[in-house]
Amino acid sequence: MTLALPSTIQARRAEAATIFGSHGVPSRRVEEWKYSDLKVALGEAGIGTDQALWQVDALPEGVTQFDLSKSDAPDWVQKHFAVADRNIMGAASLTLSDGGVALLVAKGAQIAAPLKLAFNGTGHVRGLLVLEEGASLILVESVGIADFRNVGFEIVLGDGASLEHIRISPESGDAVLVEEASLRIAAGARYRAHFAGFGSKLSRMELEIALEGEGAEAHLSGVSVLDGKRHSDVTTHVIHRSGNTISTQLFKHVAGGNARAVYQGKVTVAKGANGSDSHQSAKALLLGENAEADLKPELEIFADDVKCAHGAAVGDLDAESLFYLRARGIPEAEARGLLLHAFLEDAVAEITSTDQRELVRTALLAALKSVA
Amino acid sequence: MLEIKNLHVSVGDKEILKGLTLSIKAGEVHAIMGPNGSGKSTLSYVLAGRAGYDITEGSITYNGEDLAALAPEVRAAKGVFLAMQYPVEIPGVTTMMFLKTALNSQRRARGESDLDAVGVLKLVRAKAKTLNVSEEMLKRALNVGFSGGEKKRLEILQMAIFEPKLAVLDETDSGLDIDALKLVAEGVNALRDPTRAMLVITHYQRLLDYIVPDRIHVLAKGRIVAEGGKELALELEAKGYEHILKEPA
Repeated sequence: MTLALPSTIQARRAEAATIFGSHGVPSRRVEEWKYSDLKVALGEAGIGTDQALWQVDALPEGVTQFDLSKSDAPDWVQKHFAVADRNIMGAASLTLSDGGVALLVAKGAQIAAPLKLAFNGTGHVRGLLVLEEGASLILVESVGIADFRNVGFEIVLGDGASLEHIRISPESGDAVLVEEASLRIAAGARYRAHFAGFGSKLSRMELEIALEGEGAEAHLSGVSVLDGKRHSDVTTHVIHRSGNTISTQLFKHVAGGNARAVYQGKVTVAKGANGSDSHQSAKALLLGENAEADLKPELEIFADDVKCAHGAAVGDLDAESLFYLRARGIPEAEARGLLLHAFLEDAVAEITSTDQRELVRTALLAALKSVA
Repeated sequence: MLEIKNLHVSVGDKEILKGLTLSIKAGEVHAIMGPNGSGKSTLSYVLAGRAGYDITEGSITYNGEDLAALAPEVRAAKGVFLAMQYPVEIPGVTTMMFLKTALNSQRRARGESDLDAVGVLKLVRAKAKTLNVSEEMLKRALNVGFSGGEKKRLEILQMAIFEPKLAVLDETDSGLDIDALKLVAEGVNALRDPTRAMLVITHYQRLLDYIVPDRIHVLAKGRIVAEGGKELALELEAKGYEHILKEPA
């Protein structure tokens, strides 16, 4: 392990090592990993100590990049790196990763071109993205296929900053891919994220989002289309720490074959975060008797005058709708595809960037063809 | 065009149609009237091919073919259309997109080439105008948030676009006020054609004031119990179903 980072960061890493050391690789005995047994998925290979790779395509003007494997970390890296991430696998990547990428959008900068960030290869890697006050960015994250990868990602949004985060996780066979994103969102800042997942042996996106300042917002949406033995897990924990904060979550899953879709969403409204508003909805359509969806929305409220709603539903394609389409001449397979696409559409419509929305739609249409 | 002989249909283990016989020729408009629970909707669903309606005896022949052997989409491509009593709402599919998909599916099944987006739009717009279906409705998700009248108008618009050979209208009048009823009836009458047969299923006589049938059949307890010309509707209106049901069929 390099000693490139200053002592404050070394101390944070030592803390992470203690956390990971006391838990080890999570199995289903750990509540948050109940539906995604990482220990079993990895088997004897374990999580190893390999270093995964990152790649930024054509860094847009106005974005600063720093390679975390280098020494002389700038102040913004020293200030924000390794601050928030204390869940088990986040701690593991902090402990075991030597490198990664840090990205900064300076105060007030409005970046029009999307920032394209890819994580590739097997092993552990870290990411840090800082948007200073009033900055705005579209982050397009792509997920490369590998035997196993653990990404630990920290995102910091300053006052009034705005980030749209799109992550497409392609169908990846036997891969075991986990990512933990920790976000701190300041007053008036807004985070929008969409996670499209097509599954692998085990795929998991875990988010811990702290709405720290008055009026901070997080809007999460996602779709998954899973076939065969694919697995896809989105686990979120949104913490409303300040008043008048808003969070919305809309996740839609389609699972066929022996696939398994998981959504665990916990919303905590902390004491004093009055006037907060939270809404979460997760729905799944199961296309076969052996497909499974585990949807678990959860609320924890310690504040007054809050508006919180949650719901989850698992069902089959609506027979009446299917008959209606067929009676108008649409062949069964096509009618099923149309209904599945329609089912997912409201979650896709949450993506505000037109280009990215079309990209997700195209990926969905292709996946639905094989699953329908 | 349509020959139904001694048709017995069960839903689950309950027999709903118990020996229905009916024949419609091209160019004719027939009406089926009957009280609630007589089997009217079952007849419409079995003609369109809905799953769960089992033919246990008898036959349905459409243009010489065994209709029951065909999948719903094949029936549609061959010209069978059912205007449904409760058109389903499908969020996430726009009405225009649905119309285009359905029209081109039918064309493809008949070995015709697809109409492109502009061609479909032109066709739909021309027909939509006369039925008072707005551009805004066509952009909305299929039937979502449509009033009862809008839903029924859209059913008739589809009939005008698909130009079926056999149109079955299931309680098209239900939930319509008199103005909406007139508009829908005008749309249906405009589609009367020597090559087209229609079967109008209704509980009430009032629809038949506007869509005047050639022949009326009264359905009760799964069988045709009375038949006659358009005057039969007036008799039913005046005396009620009870009166006819008491007479030996």
